[in-house]
Amino acid sequence: MEYPVSIKLAARNVFRNRIRTLITLAAIAFGSVSIIVAGGFFEDTFMLMRESAIHGQYGHIQIHAKGFADHGSSAPFDYLIENPDTVIKKLGSLDHIKLITPRISFSAMVSTGDNSVAVYCQGINPDEEKILSSIDNIKRAALGLSMEKGSNLTGKDRFSVILGRGLAKSIGVKPGDSIVLLANTVGGSINAFDMTVKGTFFTSFKEFDDRALRMPIDIAKQLIRTDGIQTLVVVLDKTSNTSVVKNEILNTIKSRHMALEIRTWKQLADFYNKTVELYGRQFFVLKLIITIIVVLSIFNTINMAIWERTREIGTIMAMGYKKMDIMKLFLAEGMILGLLGGIAGIIAGIAAARIISFFGIPMPPPPGATVGWTAFIKVVPDLLVSSMIISVSASLLSSFYPAFKASNMVITDALRHY
Amino acid sequence: MNIIVKTQNISKIFMLGKTEVHALTDVSIDAFEGEFLAIAGPSGSGKTTLLNLIGCIDQPTAGIVKIDGEVMTGLSSSRLADIRMAKLSFVFQTFNLIPVLSAFENVEYPLLKMVRNKAERRDRVCEALENVGLADFITHRPDELSGGQRQRVAIARALVTEPRIILADEPTANLDQKTGGEVLELMKTINESKGTLFIFSTHDPKVMKMASRIIRITDGRVADYNHFDRRTGDKIAGFSSEYIIRNKGRRDLDR
Repeated sequence: MEYPVSIKLAARNVFRNRIRTLITLAAIAFGSVSIIVAGGFFEDTFMLMRESAIHGQYGHIQIHAKGFADHGSSAPFDYLIENPDTVIKKLGSLDHIKLITPRISFSAMVSTGDNSVAVYCQGINPDEEKILSSIDNIKRAALGLSMEKGSNLTGKDRFSVILGRGLAKSIGVKPGDSIVLLANTVGGSINAFDMTVKGTFFTSFKEFDDRALRMPIDIAKQLIRTDGIQTLVVVLDKTSNTSVVKNEILNTIKSRHMALEIRTWKQLADFYNKTVELYGRQFFVLKLIITIIVVLSIFNTINMAIWERTREIGTIMAMGYKKMDIMKLFLAEGMILGLLGGIAGIIAGIAAARIISFFGIPMPPPPGATVGWTAFIKVVPDLLVSSMIISVSASLLSSFYPAFKASNMVITDALRHY
Repeated sequence: MNIIVKTQNISKIFMLGKTEVHALTDVSIDAFEGEFLAIAGPSGSGKTTLLNLIGCIDQPTAGIVKIDGEVMTGLSSSRLADIRMAKLSFVFQTFNLIPVLSAFENVEYPLLKMVRNKAERRDRVCEALENVGLADFITHRPDELSGGQRQRVAIARALVTEPRIILADEPTANLDQKTGGEVLELMKTINESKGTLFIFSTHDPKVMKMASRIIRITDGRVADYNHFDRRTGDKIAGFSSEYIIRNKGRRDLDR
């Protein structure tokens, strides 16, 4: 059979029973829309989580002294980068890098006079952290580090701190109060500073907000009596450039024999990875369910079409057409249904995504976080392609049995069928 | 005259539930080049079964069907499809046109595999439609045509592949007297101008009258077997003596 003609015939056959075809197409399109919208929602959520992890805490890449990842938590001061400025100078010229900012973190005691708690201290460069905290590519919400009360640290601040809002609440301080910060020095002795609370902040990580205190890095260095820093946080222009820059940094480190190691946000953000995996599984199940729905609806359509056209099949076979020709004809019909349904689904899916995103879906804070957010539906090209693949392959799959049945009809029985 | 179709002692048994139905028993007939042969008999006598067996869309339970001296019995379905495409065409009682295709496309359908050249295919389809007097209706869909016109399209579809044999199962049963007569007249004209062997089944005496020869079937057996061409009155040569012996005692009623 000349292929275009069987396609032409199949196309006409598809629209023989318009209502049935439209219902089938609607089922396929509905499946595609579900994939596009659900997948787009997950993708948007992932993006927000990713960006808030990066800009709230981790940056894109963190550079440490070699061995910090394995032993840093037990002996944080044994793995210091002693010459941060040289490292920043050497790596800062690489492409895509927006900023490299130093951090030093350690445990300390905060005392308000009548109350003492252990806190997680971060010595930071206030001006540079401000750049890190702002998310340029997401306009809708400040998901990095935001101030709750008071104001953020600036480069001029010296003996000032900002506190996570959970921490501030638990020790009962507000901006303007003074606290005593007590910490072990690198040498092992104890040092204490009087500090003023300048503000309270929140990120999307509740755990961090409940324990963290931030102070200017110079004061932190003085407090623990060191010149080194622990971490260099690298911020990139785009998250998608992470692996490229990672490799470049690794090459630089290697060629200059620097005793450094690096970790990307993906290695650091354990919560993100697990969420992506969890949602990914759920999405897979959703895709499976949709595929089954599409398969069943097409199966029904083609099966009924074959029953109605039994005599026609007999006639064509009596002309001398072979089983394969009949098979091709009905597979072509299934494929056309899949293609049309898939196209309709993509159009409707994009429209639905646009409309939903126009209004936004208000979401509660995710587990471990303190702020809710507004979810949008992201139109992801990959999802459009995969919804199309699912539509067409499910259609072909479900046409297979009816087509096989049609091609194996006994001609004389088929001709007698009314 | 050349024997084109030969059936040798064919029988066909169907299973209807658990009972055996003997649709044909020991039927041996010959059909010759250029004949306008009627298979006559009441409904349920096995006419359709016989046409199906000759048309290679069914296989006999016993016996052999030969077309142009070649044994058709026991061939693969794919081989039989090739033979049908090359040598055989069908005209059905219910026309069996494909409703979504125009008259032109319906007639073109059997050629799609045979003739790759589009222009040649077009010429042949147009010629076939002209032969049946439907040159002005090529773009009409079947539901825009009358019953007689539909059967003409079906005849054009049968004709377009230039088959050796056209098998027509009760071709006029769904048409009124006048239209049926016209359709039959058309078939006869084609038969005479092209020499195509027509084998058609009928139970209508008026239709039988137009046949060049009539084979009567009752209860799956040959009841009357003519050796005479009704057009010329001549006895048809080429019957094997063995055959005549086997059919001894049967009358030539339709002479």
